[in-house]
Formats: sequence, structure tokens, C-alpha cells
Amino acid sequence: MQVFTSIIVVSIFAGIFIATDIKDYKTRKANSVASIAHIISANSITPLLFQDNNEAKKILTELKNTSPDIVNAVIIDSAAKIFAIYSRVDAGPLEISHFLNGKTTEFSGKQLFVSENIMNEKQLMGKVLLEVDLSELEAIKKSRYEMAVILLLAAAVLSFLIASIVQRYISRRLLYLVDKMKQVSVTGNYNTTIVDNGKDEIGTLIRVYNNLMEQVRESQHKKDEFIGIASHELKTPLTSIKGYLDLLNTMEERQPNKQFVQKASDSVTKLERLIKDLLDVSKIQSGQLQLNIKEFNIDELINETINSFQMVSESHTIVKEDGLHYEQVLADRQRIEQVLINLLSNAIKYSPGENKVLVKSKRDGDHLLIQVRDYGIGIAKDELSEIFERFYRTKDSSVHISGFGLGLYICRDIITRHGGTIWATKEPKGSSFYFTLPIQQNSVTNPSSNNSNN
Amino acid sequence: MDKILVVDDDIDILTLVKMSLSLNGFKVEAISKWEQIYKSISGFVPDLILLDVSLGGADGREICKRIKTTTETEHIPVILFSANTEMEKSIGDCKAQAFIAKPYELGHFLDVIKSTIKHSKPN
Repeated sequence: MQVFTSIIVVSIFAGIFIATDIKDYKTRKANSVASIAHIISANSITPLLFQDNNEAKKILTELKNTSPDIVNAVIIDSAAKIFAIYSRVDAGPLEISHFLNGKTTEFSGKQLFVSENIMNEKQLMGKVLLEVDLSELEAIKKSRYEMAVILLLAAAVLSFLIASIVQRYISRRLLYLVDKMKQVSVTGNYNTTIVDNGKDEIGTLIRVYNNLMEQVRESQHKKDEFIGIASHELKTPLTSIKGYLDLLNTMEERQPNKQFVQKASDSVTKLERLIKDLLDVSKIQSGQLQLNIKEFNIDELINETINSFQMVSESHTIVKEDGLHYEQVLADRQRIEQVLINLLSNAIKYSPGENKVLVKSKRDGDHLLIQVRDYGIGIAKDELSEIFERFYRTKDSSVHISGFGLGLYICRDIITRHGGTIWATKEPKGSSFYFTLPIQQNSVTNPSSNNSNN
Repeated sequence: MDKILVVDDDIDILTLVKMSLSLNGFKVEAISKWEQIYKSISGFVPDLILLDVSLGGADGREICKRIKTTTETEHIPVILFSANTEMEKSIGDCKAQAFIAKPYELGHFLDVIKSTIKHSKPN
């Protein structure tokens, strides 16, 4: 578009320039020829008075040297008879008709015709008629047109280059902004500022974006602060409640009192987990969730977690299909345990009336692959990826599920931070959750183990 | 009988912890004002200090550091006690022996206390 505009502008200017130039040339030429005619006319008075043809001829022949572009020059007397004539070697016949319309100068095709009266004391003695060859003008025209075309081409190329550079500069900044915005919407991390010193509209856009992020960060910070304080304030009375219930539990032996205490304790544990999830999400969003990476045995962790679940779950049996033997991993043990607990409690929660949950683990290249499978209500295909979003709750109304919908969001963050991936698949009955963890090559086997998998 | 000094500005928790520990065979002194800690250490001579981190006006970590850099008290094991689980990271920095998060599991709570006392005593 810019290229098109600039070509039009350049052509208009070139057109005006050429037209003025030609007009200028014509005026100058007409004036100079007119003054030549005037001189000839002044010099012709005496030869006309004395009827001296030769002298008149001599005056005209002089033109050969002084004005070589004059093709024909004629002096006629008052009776319109030719008195003297000069023709250039290559000249055609002089067309008298051009002089009969009364004008003193006339451009016609490639010729200029000039006539000048020869006056002697207010008496018309004759006329000087000049025909000028304008091939010089043609040459000028040609060169001007050529220049215009070259100028146009140069302008087109130049404006194309400038336009594409400017465009690339503009679109690079715009694309960068779009990229940053996408990142923010995907990660929920608002700690981004774009450095751009542009004074143009895009610079303004970027400044607005930075201000917006600043505001979001500020409100995020306030929210985090609030959640931090709130969860501390929630945890303190919870500590008393839990503590007294624990004490009561160790002292009370009568039924159903002991059972009531147990139920109250279970609710407190749930409440505790919800507060912990809220805090974790707040940490994830403010980028403060940090991993405490250490080497540990993943089999041991899986077995421990299953065992502790088995102790409290009366409805389900958790079956472990063993594929690993003393696999050491570098990870945050507590966080991986949190993921396992989350997946197992989901598996139980979403398979009411069933009694089996399957845990499989195996080595898959340089990754560990861990699967938790249930035989429950399953997940609709279009929900398979959505379930990892914040506050997502299944649309399946056949089950009443409690919680904030934060568990899988936290799991995904933890696994991603470890360099692994987490996903869910639909099974013929129920669903499977998988996650991977990278294995460090030098720490995969425990040499002191008899059950080495080599 | 092992002696434990508990410092926490929340009276409910202070009472609970005192009761829990007393019922499990410890001798307990519980104070809600951190300013009294040095007086209690010299009078009560505890085998372990259970120290809350946010003490209303004072930081348990700073107090711990001071205990651990004073010749007369540096041998007493300190357990930091907080609802903020991030505090676990600072036990190395202030030379505390262990960390217990609030709310706690009674079994785990007693285990940590017992093992910390056991480790602090010369055989």
C-alpha cells in the first residue's frame, strides 16, 4: 500500500516537473528565435530599401553559424513576394500556410514557426519568416521521460525497502507483545514487563500493557498477602481443634464417642488440605513455589503412599503392578507425594461403588512413567485437558464432588516444574492419569540392591 | 523426666501443647511472652525449646539464633514451630534442630520432639 502511494506521488511530481520543463524550454526557444527574427528584420530594412537580394541572403546565411537549428529563413517584401531565402542542407520546403493565421509564433509538431514584420518608420516593408527544427526538444523530452521512469523505479524499490523494514519493525514489536500476552494467559505469571522506547502508537500500546501488568501484579500481590495472612489465621485455630481432637482420640475409648472424634478429625484433615491447596495456588501464581530437590527412591514413596491410603480407605483396594526396582530420582519428595495423594484420592472419589484402583510404574526411555487407573465414572473426551485448569469442576452431575477444583492444577504445575508431563486418558471403564519424571542417568539403580533391574 | 520450654503467643495452642506434652510424660513450662524466655531458660533449665516463629513483635528465628550463639544456651536443642511451612527452610540458617508445622499430627509431633532430645544428649 505504501509502495503504491509513493509511486503515485512520485509520478505526479515527475509529470509536473516534465511539463514545466518543456513549457520553459518552449518559451525560452520562442523568445530567442523571436529576438533573432527581430535582429534580421532590423538588418533587412536597408537591403529591402535598396532591393539588395544578395545582402539579404548574406544576412540569412549567417544563421547557419549562429543558429544551426533554423531550417528555413525567408524574407518577403510588402507584396508578399520572396525577397531572400536560406535553407539548411537537409531542409524540406517551407510551408507558408503556418504564417497566415496572424500569430507571430506557432509550435506545430516538431517545428516552431516565427514571423516578424519589417517596419521602417511605421511602414510595413516585408516580413521575416523563420522555421526552427525542434528535434532538440524531442531529445530533452526523451531524456526527461527516461529520467522519470528511472526515478519511479528507484522510488518504488526504495519505498518497498523502507516499507518492509518499517513493517518488520512494527510487526516484530506487535508479535512480541502478542507472544508475551499469550504467555501470560497460559502461565498466569504476570511478572512480565516489555522494554520498548518507541514513541509511536505501538510504544503507547506497550506502555498500556506494562501498566496493566503492573496493576495486575499489585492486585495479585495484595491477594497473595491476603491468602497468606488468611491461611495463617485459619491454620492457628485449626491447630487447636486438630490438637484437642488428637488428644481426645488417644484418651477416649468409649463408642460411639471415639467414632465421633474420628469423624471430626477427618473433616479437619479435609479443611487442612483445602487451605494448603489455596496456599499452593497462590504460590504458583506468584512464582514462589520452589522445589526442594533431593535424590530418593520412587518405589518406596509409591509404596508408602499406597499403604497410608490403604489404612484409611475402606472402600477401595489399591493394587500396585510393579515395574520398577529401586529407581532413584532427583525430585521434591514431598511434592511428588502430594501428586500421588491427589491422583489416588481422585481415583477413589470418582469411582463410587467400585473397589479397585490400579497403580503402574515403569521406565520409559529416560523417563519414569507412572499411571493411576480407576474404574469409575470416567471423563468426557472434551474435558480431558480442561480438568487441569484452575477451579475446573466436572460437568458430570451424576456425582457430588467436594473441593475447589485445584488439585490437578497444582499437580500439573509440580510435574511441569520437574520437567515431566501429566495427562489423562479415557479408558473403556473409568480413566487413567499418567505422569512422567525425568531420570538422571547416573542415579537410576541402587548398586547395593539384589533386585537390580539390569 | 525431660523438660520442655514452649513459647507461643497463642494461648489456645500454648495450652494444647502443654497438655499434650504433659500427658506424654514431659515436664513443661509454657510462656506466651517471648521476653521471658531467658528468665525461663535460666530458671527452668529446659532440655528442649519449642519456639513459635511469629511471636507478635518478635521473630522466633532471631531468638533461636541468639540462643544458639550464646555459650550458656547453645547446647539446648530448639524446634521451630509455625503455620508457615516455608519456615522449614530457615532452620539451617538459625541453627534450629527441627521444624514442626501447624496444624500438626500428634504422633509426628511427639516423634520429632523425642528424637530431637535423644540426639542432643551425649551417650
